[in-house]
Amino acid sequence: MKKILKYTLIYSIISLSSISCNRDLLDPQPQTSVPDVGAFDTESRISSQLLSVYQGLKAGNFYGGRFVVYGDIRGENFLNQTSNLVTGSDVWALNPTNSATAVVGLWQYAYETINRANIFIAGMQEIGNNVVGPEVGNGYIAEAKLIRALSYFSLLQYYARPYADGNGNNPGLPLRLTPITGPGESDMARSSVAEVYAQILTDLNDAENGLALTNGSEYNNTTRAHRNTAIALKTRVYLTMQDYPNVITEANKIVSSDAPFTAPTGVTHALQPDIATVFTNYTTTESIFSMPMTSTSGDYPGTQNGLAYYWTPGSSSGGVGNGEYALNPNGIIANSNWKSSDARRAFVMTNANGSNWLMKFKAPSPYTDYVPVIRYAEVLLNLAEAKVRSTNQVDPQAVALLNAVHNRSDKSTTYTTANFASASQLIDAIMLERNIEFLGEGLRNNDLVRLLETIPAKGTVPAKSADQNGYIWPISANELSLNNLMTDN
Amino acid sequence: MKQKLLLCFFLLSALLGTAYGQEKTIRGKVTDQSDGSAIAGVSILVPNTSIGTQTDAEGNYTLQVPANANAITLRFIGYISQTINISSGNIFNVALAADASQLSEVVVTGYGTQRREEVTGSIASVNGEAISKLPVQSFESTLGGRMSGVQITVPNGVLNAPPVFRIRGTNSISLSSYPLVVVDGVPTFTDRVGSGSAPTNPLASINPSDIESIDVAKDAAATAIYGSRAANGVVFVTTKKGAAGATKINYDGWVGITSAYGIPEMLNAQQYIDFKTLGVQNNPNADIQYIQTNDANGNPIDTKWSDVVYRTGLSHNHNINVSGGNEKTKYYFSTGYTDQEGIIKKNDFKRLNGLFNVNSKIKDYLTVGGKLAYSNEKNLAAGSSGSLEGEAFATAGLGRLAVILPPIISPYNNDGSYNINGSAIGSADNIIGIGNLSYYNPQAMLDLNRSNTENNHVQGNAFIQIDPWEWLSLKSTYGIDYLFLENDSFSSPVTGGGYSSGGSATGSYDKRKVWVFTNTAQFRKTFGKHNVSALIGQEQQRTTRKSFGITRQTLSDDAFDQLQAGWVTNNASNMNIGENYLLSYFGNVNYNYAEKYFATANIRRDEYSGLGEKKGTFWGASLGWEIAEEDFWAESSIGDVVSSLRLRGSYGKVGNVGGVSDYTAYSTYNSGLYGGSATLYYDEVGNTALRWETSSKTDVGINFGLFNDRITAQLAYYNNDINNLILRVPQAPSTGLPSNPQQNVGTMYNRGLEAAFNFQAVNTEKFQWTSSINFTYNKNEVTSLAPGLDAIQTETSLETVNQTMPGYSLGYLWVIPTAGVDPETGKRIFLDSQGTKVYYQYYAADGQYNYSTTPDGTTQYINPVTGGSAISASSDAVMYANSIPKYYGGWSNSFRFGNFDMNILLTYQLGYSVYYGTNAGLHDQRWWNTSVDVLTDGWFNPGDQNKIYAKPVYSDNVSNGSAMPLDINVFKGDFLKLKNLTLGYSFPPKLLQKMDLSNLRLYVSGQNLAILTGYPGPDPEVSSNGGNNTGQGVDRNTVVNGRTFTFGVNIGL
Repeated sequence: MKKILKYTLIYSIISLSSISCNRDLLDPQPQTSVPDVGAFDTESRISSQLLSVYQGLKAGNFYGGRFVVYGDIRGENFLNQTSNLVTGSDVWALNPTNSATAVVGLWQYAYETINRANIFIAGMQEIGNNVVGPEVGNGYIAEAKLIRALSYFSLLQYYARPYADGNGNNPGLPLRLTPITGPGESDMARSSVAEVYAQILTDLNDAENGLALTNGSEYNNTTRAHRNTAIALKTRVYLTMQDYPNVITEANKIVSSDAPFTAPTGVTHALQPDIATVFTNYTTTESIFSMPMTSTSGDYPGTQNGLAYYWTPGSSSGGVGNGEYALNPNGIIANSNWKSSDARRAFVMTNANGSNWLMKFKAPSPYTDYVPVIRYAEVLLNLAEAKVRSTNQVDPQAVALLNAVHNRSDKSTTYTTANFASASQLIDAIMLERNIEFLGEGLRNNDLVRLLETIPAKGTVPAKSADQNGYIWPISANELSLNNLMTDN
Repeated sequence: MKQKLLLCFFLLSALLGTAYGQEKTIRGKVTDQSDGSAIAGVSILVPNTSIGTQTDAEGNYTLQVPANANAITLRFIGYISQTINISSGNIFNVALAADASQLSEVVVTGYGTQRREEVTGSIASVNGEAISKLPVQSFESTLGGRMSGVQITVPNGVLNAPPVFRIRGTNSISLSSYPLVVVDGVPTFTDRVGSGSAPTNPLASINPSDIESIDVAKDAAATAIYGSRAANGVVFVTTKKGAAGATKINYDGWVGITSAYGIPEMLNAQQYIDFKTLGVQNNPNADIQYIQTNDANGNPIDTKWSDVVYRTGLSHNHNINVSGGNEKTKYYFSTGYTDQEGIIKKNDFKRLNGLFNVNSKIKDYLTVGGKLAYSNEKNLAAGSSGSLEGEAFATAGLGRLAVILPPIISPYNNDGSYNINGSAIGSADNIIGIGNLSYYNPQAMLDLNRSNTENNHVQGNAFIQIDPWEWLSLKSTYGIDYLFLENDSFSSPVTGGGYSSGGSATGSYDKRKVWVFTNTAQFRKTFGKHNVSALIGQEQQRTTRKSFGITRQTLSDDAFDQLQAGWVTNNASNMNIGENYLLSYFGNVNYNYAEKYFATANIRRDEYSGLGEKKGTFWGASLGWEIAEEDFWAESSIGDVVSSLRLRGSYGKVGNVGGVSDYTAYSTYNSGLYGGSATLYYDEVGNTALRWETSSKTDVGINFGLFNDRITAQLAYYNNDINNLILRVPQAPSTGLPSNPQQNVGTMYNRGLEAAFNFQAVNTEKFQWTSSINFTYNKNEVTSLAPGLDAIQTETSLETVNQTMPGYSLGYLWVIPTAGVDPETGKRIFLDSQGTKVYYQYYAADGQYNYSTTPDGTTQYINPVTGGSAISASSDAVMYANSIPKYYGGWSNSFRFGNFDMNILLTYQLGYSVYYGTNAGLHDQRWWNTSVDVLTDGWFNPGDQNKIYAKPVYSDNVSNGSAMPLDINVFKGDFLKLKNLTLGYSFPPKLLQKMDLSNLRLYVSGQNLAILTGYPGPDPEVSSNGGNNTGQGVDRNTVVNGRTFTFGVNIGL
């Protein structure tokens, strides 16, 4: 009896231990993420992936905030208040180093977005188009190409010499067009500026061909690319390349010949009667492309990235931000041609102590203002400028376009051709208009640099001419140390 | 059984008979030297005879010995054996000293125990008694200096912060270097868990007074049975069990006070105004005024901010345990409560815990048993101490606020309201010209905020053991370790971190569960002089984790302070899910011939779910030779002096997988949001070939005993080559990869020497003194990283001062060299990468430059390498000093004089440097307060020679090291610390009998009583980066340490 019990117990232990092990547990599947092999398996994964390319663009370090901030603070209209390197005091002073937060961060985030686009485009061609069908798939690819183009274009504005300097013969960017999902692909030399622009235009042309005319809702028309988005961006790209005839060609596709100017095809873009509307109702037909924000974690710009965080003072001073940059009293707000009755003056808040702040973006923390990427007003002014620069005359349509933008906010002024004695006067007026209209929207740097103009002095920072060190950024230190074919600026 | 008894009886009678008439009877009581409690079961032997007995439950013995016997030897597990002279007298009361060293009779090895004599691997042990009454939160923080090869650094004075715990050096770069901790056979959680500002160390769930012993396995032979988790060493914690005999009840309790030491002395209000105004005068751009005003009582404001932050903490601790049993069933039950106040206000630790274990021999071949331990801990804090990893530059950091805030402002306005300006402390009317001081008001934060973690920890196991034959044991154990953590933090909307969002609160719940199922078969057999034991086993361990939480912002009503109240914004936080599984087969063989020649071999095959290449085989083997057992030795004259002598050596390969995430093989896409819509993006680069870090350990040692083991020593040399280090190898950012892929690439080594000596220096009836000293030398060197990865820089929050590079030890201090302060101009002199002197001035007048090669500032400095015009860390910093102690150890002494006992523990760490980053802040020329040493060491007038700190210029954060780390703030960390001193008195047995007690001892004890060091900061035993492998040796805005005095009582019924 005793022996039986003993051996039964031994047997139970041995059998229990041998059957209880569960080899399946050695290969657990992730429960909250999708393994790469299945990333293009379903329609919803594919559409979610496409949105992730937009999400890359929207990162707080890129179009969600900082890219736009850098565009303004390089110019003369803002004064740094906090001397904080993390919030771009070096960008403002035009002397960031290779390892500066801005230089390293923007490079990284833009290329992450590019790689997301590359992964998506290749995955669609390989698998995805079969899942969603070629028609939908090609539309998706067109959207990804537009974002890739915009990302390369954005990088060029800081990290490469302007196209105007030697027609794009200077070093541009490593042109990465294939997906990278693993190690070992660090080395790649820079293509020339011209080659990168050529790729940007190829992508935008492809996008124009592949994109839908409209996306069905105001929200989707603003936050997702459609055909007019590609065209609008091309006007910006060609203008930057000083290829004015092509600016006109492209702009004419989406700008009617006479006022009131609207887009004759696709989404009916038009100026809003009141500029203030554009920054409260984020999805009007004026906002061709904007970055949407919500107050859900991960869907807003993040710490020290929001535009309102930079441009507005603390709540005790009437703002919602951290007062990083005040308006320069000697910058654009000092310009007497910007009349006090101009509706855009309402964006400028003057505090009791005399400091001036831009209140265009005023959603409080977590800073959920949509960030404009391109507005219809810019297309109008791009066209106006191209017309004048290509004809070197006081072009009547150019004046009408300028007037459309200006008169909307400054009802007391109506521009006619009689107001401009020469083409250069008209150009000056258009450039001034851009400076007022897009204050705080990130276009200032591009408007100076594409023309090789000197960046004006501000505060304690001296002016910087196009041939001086610091006119463009250095290359990210991380790129230089890890990409053996990379060269610095 | 009866036969055996009869046989014994006959033998005894025979002995008695032959010896009758030539004998005397001796008697006495054997007690524990540390607390005077009786020890039952002590073996008492007359050397070279078979005469002996054991003490009874009250520790008493009676023994008849031959008249010519002049000595008896007393032996008991866990105590140092004693031989006493009995040539005169009849009553010999003996106090045995707990064996705090390495000589306990039985050591815990993986899946079993071994007699100390049979162990050829490297295992060090500490008796639980030595640490049970120390005023700490977790046991391992007391291990410093007690064992060779074990390095403990207590990082700061925040309660329950896990110590830096290293065995034979730091053995990984990116993975954990914490040893594997096995509690009663079940591996447990280590290092910091929980997300609140009050750190949570899961090992604090083990009540130190429940610990029977701690055994630390160091070499491959001793650790290989734990295979892939053994690279950092293995710590076996054995909790107390019951013993056969009458029921014993013990109460231990203490009360203690803790106060901060080493707080830097700062300028008072008048000194501050004078000194800071000087700085403003030296900077024409500065328009700042410092103004003294009066407080509400009409006295000039002179705030000592350290008084706002620090306090004298009061703590008390109580434990009761009941144990007992009979031959068949033994049990132990204990319960404890501790309530400890830290040196920072509102930083408290409360633990309520219980432990119950029982085992019962149901049949002569069948034993069952189990244990259940439950602990509830509350780790409380108001907010960030600024002392945990990643917090060093927090504007809320209390350790920092205690020194940098100006003495001329007050925590309160004169109307009694908080002195605040939005989120920051207000400058009131005292500092004119600065809009926002940006740092928080610590008084308001201490009053209004909280950041707490509550931990419910359950550890248990149940086993069944069958011994069908005497040579075979089959054992199945099922163990669990469940950790339930709840974080609760609140930031008030009034000021501080919650201000901008209108208040915020975070709550999260984190559930981590482990089960372990172990089945072993143990063989043990002796064939003549061949002793063989072997073990085979199978084990499964599964860990699951789920956590979730919510972060809520903008209170609906300012009076609320609970997470469950009304809030406007709600976001998920702390979302984690994970699982892993370890399936293992293992075995070992131990062989010895006549206890002279020893050999062991261990092997384990592990399969781990988290890796790409899941299978790995690990092994270790050792040999030993007990020379003193050889006839030639025993017979030689040297044998009279050298009573034991053993050579031993081991080699093996073990692995490290601690900290590897659960799905490393997979490249995965993760979810995000774009304007409220779901996204899916490529997020983590997997590696299907990822495998263990491997550690090849060599160990050679010699143990010897002199004068009948009155002096014993263990010496060892070890070499640990670590290969396949898992590193995230950075790729060019233009690749756009979302994460740097993990690869098995780097290599490094730790090698060193260990020595431990034990002396029974004095051993008389009245007075005993035993002394143990140990010493470890460890050399760490990284030999390679990865292609494209020349150096790893480790950030201390915002500042980088540690750089890890091949050819240097981990986390080498990397700073910019300087050449003093120019006596004529008071400018800081930097040395650039070429050794050129560069004179720095914060304010450069027209025609002058900030960085100049001439003292007058007129020649602009141009960096010859980069073309830049400034000194910077990236171009000019040098690999300056090692941050890991090369030498460490301790010296402990136990004295007993009559009923008094005294214990002294000294610890030391030598041969390393500490970057005293706080010192840069203490000499920053912004509005921050300055250390008083600036009055003697600062430059004020032309001709001031040999000054340490530059001419004060308002806003200068460069000259003294705030903007970039400088060599002037690196100091030798070498220290010798009086870690612990305890003085006790045990009531004599006569008195005890009257009180009907078996033991009563009172003691006073002090911790961190004195420190001998050249380090100018509060304490060179410090780490701002916690246990970070590559971030040691940094003291940046860290809370100081505490000095504790306790008064305690032990009562035994």
